[in-house]
Amino acid sequence: MIEAITLLAADSPGGIELFPDWSEFIWGSVAFAILLFGMLKLVFPKLNETLAERASQIQGKMEEADAKLQEAAASKADYEASLADARGEADRIIEEAKAAADALRQEARTRAEAEAQQILERAEASVAAERDRVLQELRGQVGALSVELASRIVERELDASTHEALVDDYIRQLSSQN
Amino acid sequence: MINVLAAAEWGGKFEGVLDPINSLFDFPAYLLTDLEVFGINLGINRTILISWIMLAAVGLVFYLGTRKATVVPSRFQAFVEMLVDVNRTIALEIIGPKGLKFVPLLTTFFVAIFVLNFAKIFPLFMMPPTSRAAWPAFLALTAWFVYIGVGIKEQGFGHYFGETLFPPGVPKALYIILPPIELLSNFVLRPFTLAVRLFANMVAGHILVVITLVTIHVFLPSMPVGWTVGTMALIVSPLVFAFELFIIGLQAYIFTMLTAVYIGSSLEGH
Repeated sequence: MIEAITLLAADSPGGIELFPDWSEFIWGSVAFAILLFGMLKLVFPKLNETLAERASQIQGKMEEADAKLQEAAASKADYEASLADARGEADRIIEEAKAAADALRQEARTRAEAEAQQILERAEASVAAERDRVLQELRGQVGALSVELASRIVERELDASTHEALVDDYIRQLSSQN
Repeated sequence: MINVLAAAEWGGKFEGVLDPINSLFDFPAYLLTDLEVFGINLGINRTILISWIMLAAVGLVFYLGTRKATVVPSRFQAFVEMLVDVNRTIALEIIGPKGLKFVPLLTTFFVAIFVLNFAKIFPLFMMPPTSRAAWPAFLALTAWFVYIGVGIKEQGFGHYFGETLFPPGVPKALYIILPPIELLSNFVLRPFTLAVRLFANMVAGHILVVITLVTIHVFLPSMPVGWTVGTMALIVSPLVFAFELFIIGLQAYIFTMLTAVYIGSSLEGH
């Protein structure tokens, strides 16, 4: 193979050919012209159409996105406003509830105090009545005992009125001694 | 081939040694070999077939990528759009808003030059059509016609050439020497440098790739003497391919960008 190439090389004229080969020039220009024509008529119209469509779609999408963004901002503002309203309302309700609870508590306390007072008074009255009753009873029993005692000592019957007067004197003496 | 290697070994004493190097680039026609139009032979050789296949492939990629273009792109469509977007960025940044109508031309330039360069390291071909003078010359001439045409259309014939050759705001005395310089730089050197930059890079790249691969091919089997050189070439070859891929993209970008610069200068004037 090397010999064949060397032979081929030996037959060639000297140096690299610096002038265009007309056959290559002409056929090359035809091929290039066809390629350029194809590019201008088939490739670029379709490509430019697609690019224009893409540009308009992107533009449309961006505008849509802008609009959506503004809409979202408006909704957010609305939402925040209603949130603030709701918070105010909640605060107010809580305040009212607190006030109501305070009032209820106050009323309950007042009522409880009054009831306690009543109970206390009733208890005091009842204690006083009981004491009076016991005192009365005691007085009666002491009287009877004394009469019995005295009659046993003097061995005589006293009439009822004398009896009673004696007893009263006796009790008075007891009370003053106490 | 051995001569190529020898020349590389001898530190670039090319004269006499590298005469057959043209055989790396020039291939005989093997289709329509007898076709002649106006005395020009239009036989189809390997380079022409490679360029057709590459341009057809790129055309097909763009057609299939945009045929059913949707607003939400598929990966394939996104890839094609990315390629167009590179050129749209070039057009907008260099030419400005008026540059948008040149995006198809710049895109075609960019992808065509890229795939024609890419054939250099594409396993089936291993030969860039842009390393033949015809392609760079054609592309540079196209750019030349376009930017002059744009200048005439936008500024009018007299205004465009007048302002280009006699730039305003320059001391009157300089008008003696400026027109020839401007003529040369704007209308001769611009297309010439466009073409030569691409051409020379692709020639050098093709030689580099060939030398690397032939070194592996020739030296590696010849144990034990050649294995060191062969192994080294084998290790280096991915780096060479990566470097060439970088150059391939860079040259396509530079050509497209400079075309945009020239179109921009024609639109604005001085």
